[in-house]
Amino acid sequence: MFGLRGRMHARLIALAGVFAVAGLLLAARVAYIQLVDDARYKAEARNEHYGQQVVRAARGAILDRNGFPLATTVNAYDVYINRADWADDAAALKGAAVIAPAIGRQPAELIGAVRKDKTGLYLAYSALDFDKGTALQAAKPVGLRLVETTRRQYPEGDLASNLLGFVGRDHTGLTGIELDFDKELGGTPGTIYFERDSIGNRLSLGAERPGQKATPGGNVRLTIDRYIQRLVESELDQQIARTGALGGTIIVMQPKTGAVMAMASRPGFKLSQLDLNDPNQALFRNRAVTDVYEPGSVFKLVTAATAIDLGVVTPNSTYNDTGYAQIGTSTIRNWDYSANGTTTVTQILQRSLNTGAVWMSGLVGADKFYASVKKFGIGDATGVGLSGEPDGLVRTNADPNWSPVDLATNSFGQGIAATPLQVLTAINSLVNGGKLMRPYIVQEMDTPGGAKTFGPQLVRQTVKPETAAQVADMMNQVVEGVAGEQAQTKGYHVGGKTGTTTGATLADGTVHNGNIASFVGFGPVRDPQMIMLVKLDYMNDVLGGQAAAPVFRDLAPAIFAYLGVAPDDPSAAR
Amino acid sequence: MALLHRTALPAPRLLGRRISARAVLIAVAVVVVAVAALQVNQFSRAASTGYTIDALTRQRAAKQAENYELEAQVARLSSLSRVESDARTKLGLVPATRTIYVTVNQPLPSGPSLPARFQEQAAAAAANLPPPPPAPSLWKRLLQLLPFY
Repeated sequence: MFGLRGRMHARLIALAGVFAVAGLLLAARVAYIQLVDDARYKAEARNEHYGQQVVRAARGAILDRNGFPLATTVNAYDVYINRADWADDAAALKGAAVIAPAIGRQPAELIGAVRKDKTGLYLAYSALDFDKGTALQAAKPVGLRLVETTRRQYPEGDLASNLLGFVGRDHTGLTGIELDFDKELGGTPGTIYFERDSIGNRLSLGAERPGQKATPGGNVRLTIDRYIQRLVESELDQQIARTGALGGTIIVMQPKTGAVMAMASRPGFKLSQLDLNDPNQALFRNRAVTDVYEPGSVFKLVTAATAIDLGVVTPNSTYNDTGYAQIGTSTIRNWDYSANGTTTVTQILQRSLNTGAVWMSGLVGADKFYASVKKFGIGDATGVGLSGEPDGLVRTNADPNWSPVDLATNSFGQGIAATPLQVLTAINSLVNGGKLMRPYIVQEMDTPGGAKTFGPQLVRQTVKPETAAQVADMMNQVVEGVAGEQAQTKGYHVGGKTGTTTGATLADGTVHNGNIASFVGFGPVRDPQMIMLVKLDYMNDVLGGQAAAPVFRDLAPAIFAYLGVAPDDPSAAR
Repeated sequence: MALLHRTALPAPRLLGRRISARAVLIAVAVVVVAVAALQVNQFSRAASTGYTIDALTRQRAAKQAENYELEAQVARLSSLSRVESDARTKLGLVPATRTIYVTVNQPLPSGPSLPARFQEQAAAAAANLPPPPPAPSLWKRLLQLLPFY
């Protein structure tokens, strides 16, 4: 059908078709590489020619309630040396002569350290002062590479160390507020790209270009007041030194809001002498929030409030104190082995009688007693927003192995474990009209979505307002109705309750058989502006009224004066 | 008989003459050179502006760092420990051993407690009213004289 010419023509067309298809495929591949998968090839090419270095974002500040910085960040430089630039002896000597003195090292030692490897960058100094770094940069020594970084500073020194926590070498929060709000404080790190040679060395005159820009972290404003915090820490240290305590905790709170104005714990650590390799990690804990203890006689307030609220007693109800209470085969005696005869509920608190608390819990009954304990928040984390807060321990009559002796001992605060913050929060509801406020320690923080504020949060009503008022009045009578009570405060009507129990915590976190002396006090009674918990751990027998109440007595007037609370009796306050 | 003498009109000299290839080449060359020069100029200006931006960015970063440093310095100088140290060492002060509270039995003065310039703002604030708008600028007042404004 086809002649020779026709067949040749068909072959040419087929060949042309093959070339056309091949050309189209090549064009499609080129288009795919250039237009669709370009990012990957760009990245590969960039990685081939450029090295990448992470630039830290400036970390946000931690501020006190008035905006004074407790932790802040300043710019600094990480000092690197390009090893390739110091391959030559003369260049190394010249460079080291300028760099070494600026970073406090010896030139010969620095050269030796740099030359341990042949390529790459050597970190000679971390976080050099900004001024020194700028001066060093201006001197242009051989081999110098400065990378902008930041450094954490603490303008108030070691204040609130255990609360603030600290950051690691990579500037991420490791403990405390620094850890709990690391996301908000940390910001987003950026990158810079630099030209490098075939084996990864940075080119001396190579280009440098910014990658992702670092986004600075936001500030976190606490409810802590630096002045009150300093007062509290100073007094805690002095009392520990005076009385030989193992350690202790003080928390100061605003009764109406639940805002924590001061929180201090000992033993702790000093930010100025921070040793990340310290084997005793227990020193880094914020014990006011993380450690539980038996609240002891302070808990009699909860028992009395429950009994009054249920209408089974009044402050003037009486019972006959024989000096002991028999629960099955167990005999419970008063702490001083006293027998007081006819005694009112108010006197039970004034004399801190265990038998009286057992009597009230018996009238209340186990079901209602534990329901009330639950309402006071004992056995549940407060939700203050700090990490490491446990629920605490309460064994109720619904739990296995519970016995009526547990109800008796629980009524005076033994066999129950709670954190100092939980105890303070529970007692605070009694001086705040029965309103249990959620404690909070952060009042404002910057987030990418804008400022986020936190305020007072009512958890629940623990007892009726009139019950709370009666218990607050009894707390006043505990302090002012007993001659020589150590918590009596000049010029101000205050209230409080002592507590003594065993189970002191040692520096390494282990529990010892020594005493825990505690006191919870508030004032002024007419309009409470401050409530405080003082807890001190001892190796030996020390009572709350002896050791903890005087701390309240010394601190309260200073805090009232600072808060602008006028004394009830100005002449007495002098 | 008059002779009608018609002379042929001369062909248009410019319009009709064909532009030489040489002229076209020169024109193209001029355009190419102009475009190239413009591009070189643009690149040069872009590079120059880039350097300026880079320098200004560095300057801003340096100023920001200085600002952080100064803020930290202010914080250090206003820290409680430093204030106490200066009070003790430089001023020779000691902690107060007694606090004197003064009871003021006099009633508040009946007259205004604020200078006149703050009274209007204070009254507005007390009544929860917005503060009065600021007086318009000179240019705004001149513009308001125009009939079509």
